[in-house]
Amino acid sequence: MDDSVTHTARELERTIGRGRVRLPHYESRAAQVIVEPENLDETMELVRKCERDGLALAPFGAARTLAQIRSAPVELGISLSRLDRIIAYASDDMTITVEAGLTLAALNMHTLTHRQRLAVDPPRPELTTVGALIAGARSGPLRMSEGTVRDLLIGVRFVGHQGRLIHGGGSVVKNVAGYDLMKVMTGSHGTLGVITEATFRLRPLPTNYTLACGKYGARAEALAAAMRLRELAPMVHLEVMSGIGARSLGFEDDFVVIAGLAGSEPEVAHLRDQVSRVLDGVVFTNAAEAIRTYERLRDFIDHENATGTVVAEIAVPQIELPRVLEACGSGFRAHVGNGVAELFVGLPAPGLNGDSPLADPYATISRWRQATHDARGILRVLRLPPDARSRVAIFDDPPPAAFKLMRRLKAAFDPRGIFNPGSFVGGL
Amino acid sequence: MYPKRTDHRLQLSFDPQVFDQLARVLDADGIVSRPSELKVYECDGWTVERSTPELLLRPRTTAEVSAILELLHRHGIPYVPRGSGTGLSGGALPINAPVMICTTRMNRILAIDIANRIVEVESGVVNLHVSNAVRTQGFFYAPDPSSQMACTIGGNIAENSGGPHTLKYGVTTNHVLGLELVLPDGEIAQLGGPLDERCGYDLVGAVIGAEGTAGIVTRATLRLTRTPEAHRTLLAIFADVDSATRAVSAIIAAGIIPGAIEMMDQLIIRAVEAAFHAGIPEDAGAVLLIELDGLACGLDDGAQRVTELARASGAGEVRVARDEADRATLWKARKRAFGAVGRLAPNYATQDGVVPRTRLPDILREITQISARHDLKIGNVFHAGDGNIHPIVLYDERKPGDVQRAIDAGRDILKACIAMGGSLTGEHGIGAEKMAEMPLLFSPEDLIVMSELRRVFDPLERSNPNKVIPMPGSCVEVTAPHRQAPL
Repeated sequence: MDDSVTHTARELERTIGRGRVRLPHYESRAAQVIVEPENLDETMELVRKCERDGLALAPFGAARTLAQIRSAPVELGISLSRLDRIIAYASDDMTITVEAGLTLAALNMHTLTHRQRLAVDPPRPELTTVGALIAGARSGPLRMSEGTVRDLLIGVRFVGHQGRLIHGGGSVVKNVAGYDLMKVMTGSHGTLGVITEATFRLRPLPTNYTLACGKYGARAEALAAAMRLRELAPMVHLEVMSGIGARSLGFEDDFVVIAGLAGSEPEVAHLRDQVSRVLDGVVFTNAAEAIRTYERLRDFIDHENATGTVVAEIAVPQIELPRVLEACGSGFRAHVGNGVAELFVGLPAPGLNGDSPLADPYATISRWRQATHDARGILRVLRLPPDARSRVAIFDDPPPAAFKLMRRLKAAFDPRGIFNPGSFVGGL
Repeated sequence: MYPKRTDHRLQLSFDPQVFDQLARVLDADGIVSRPSELKVYECDGWTVERSTPELLLRPRTTAEVSAILELLHRHGIPYVPRGSGTGLSGGALPINAPVMICTTRMNRILAIDIANRIVEVESGVVNLHVSNAVRTQGFFYAPDPSSQMACTIGGNIAENSGGPHTLKYGVTTNHVLGLELVLPDGEIAQLGGPLDERCGYDLVGAVIGAEGTAGIVTRATLRLTRTPEAHRTLLAIFADVDSATRAVSAIIAAGIIPGAIEMMDQLIIRAVEAAFHAGIPEDAGAVLLIELDGLACGLDDGAQRVTELARASGAGEVRVARDEADRATLWKARKRAFGAVGRLAPNYATQDGVVPRTRLPDILREITQISARHDLKIGNVFHAGDGNIHPIVLYDERKPGDVQRAIDAGRDILKACIAMGGSLTGEHGIGAEKMAEMPLLFSPEDLIVMSELRRVFDPLERSNPNKVIPMPGSCVEVTAPHRQAPL
């Protein structure tokens, strides 16, 4: 730990209490010291202190994401685990306002009684705070039918430069008053401020949720079937899983197409009929079994104990996805309805050995990146072994004119450069 | 033939040589300088305040826009962008901006890519033309403001426009993937792209709804949505607005998200019936127009549930549109309701507030009281599913005091919306109209940060100056609401 950080840690122990300043555990790659403010005022004061002392900070929720990609830890991690209240749940309005330290799982547990949910499903919702959900802009299978967090976030509060508490949007589902600070904060990776509160629109839980799984021996066949399915009917989600991914769901096959269906009974019957015409050897499951499989599908990509794992997310024009996945040749979870996929090597599945032995991470990412760029797509690294991080670009470079605006945005919101510096696009 | 001069005297507040330089960039139809022609551009759909630009430029390409902005930047001349001028908050009103740049000649659909569910357009393309271009292939562009026959995609992007079907499908920002933006210094920036993810900050999201203060959008990549297999359109008839608004909450709380839920109160029903004969009982206190869409096999069940919920909330009768013609009549009545209001009073002014959906009964009661207090009739026709109200204040500008009372009533309604946890605007934008009310929603620090965000794109604040964020001395003093053609 740097001397200045040791000094700050001691000072913080005196001012906000020993129990709330600690050393990092698994998130050691993200921050040297973790501080847990009790409330907004302390959070604002921490930001002011960091600006005064020239210390870099990272919001803790994002730090969990950052722990898998940062090459060096920032000085101070701010954990919002004590800011985890539900501030207002208006079930009839289908909106909820929560503090950013609340986990997505806790939020959705709260809204379950009204058969509602925040319809975004990154891996491991029990470990994903609302702040991290927004800052990291991770998504999951539900993006096909419900969009991503940017479509569901209707209000935001964050602590910015000078410890100012800033708010954008509101608590109504339709609102164009003022600039859209929600969009600016979404996917900003903690580089513009510390998100402390968010308001979301909720969606009804699906009825008669049913999973359809089709099994394939070849990548091209599985992807072709999923692309046909995309044309057919509205679905909750539509994925193709390869290799270890398929096996983690309990399938012996090399490739599996998984479609989520929902609706009234006649609608689901109609959808099952349509799906049966396309998928080979289709198996339908519903109720608890379908939900268990869905949860494995959702969480698989973010295995906690995988060392030496490389994971990246790519986005390409939808019809390019099969060709790009073929060219990458690695394991994948493909969101066929969005042209988005996670690629991986070295990901273990429960009770199984790791996937193919880890190749050189640099060469792997380079190959993926080339295939993605050839299809006019983009790539971001989600997970990389620590020793490879200094050699690999985590994000693609935005086009020059766009990047110039991003640099100005960073400078405007964070003139002292304390908010998670150096780990976002172009070193922002 | 260059430099070109006009046969009339130019009235410019800036160096006339700039005019000559602009004339080298644009063709003869690209510059409008005759005062009689400029008069058309003195306001948009918000007609309360009028201000004629000194010069109107009508570029046809991104390169022309870039050259124009570079030139204006060099000479320190502010400008106001404009699409079709259907906006309802004075977003295209020139305030301290002598030059207006109109995008309507950039009206080409550049690429239709059904396989990837996207379309690339120039920003002057009319909203409805996008859906028309892909309809036979089973797709549509979801945001559907009632002005969609005229409004441009660029205008929609500036205002983050909505429409009746946004309850289910979302607003403009949910359907725009990429933008080509010409910055106020003339630099061309490509933001986002044809993909479902972004690289770096979401600048597309920051530009949408920035009301033309970030520069001029010249191209956009839009997401296409598959046309639902079938529709079912219902008309639920209620004795009063209270029970109608209760039905709205009941339907949505039951987990049903219809394509649209629109409400009309008695005043509007009478106007609409007189104009369109849609068959709505004129003694009804309120009606809901509810449209379900999706798989054909699920609609009977859905319509049945909606009918039961509406009846449980007090609907006396629920009719289902018999066929496409019947459906079209009902939608015509709704979408042209504002036109029909012209029968009720010589002038009217509309508002665009939002409340949480469950507060609709409260805000409508409040509007009734505001109507009585100011001695003005107020009709209501709006997007009930979103809690987005459009009260129409009727008045007669010839009557002494009417104008001021109409202004005061509108402001009282907005204040009531905010007191109920709502917003100043759901889809019309802040523009010039509601700047003075922004501090009711946002703290000075919020507004400072928003200004900082704007200056990321426009450091000198020359793109559509004096809009959105109130600045000392910049607010327009509203004194005379005029008739408008609202959404």
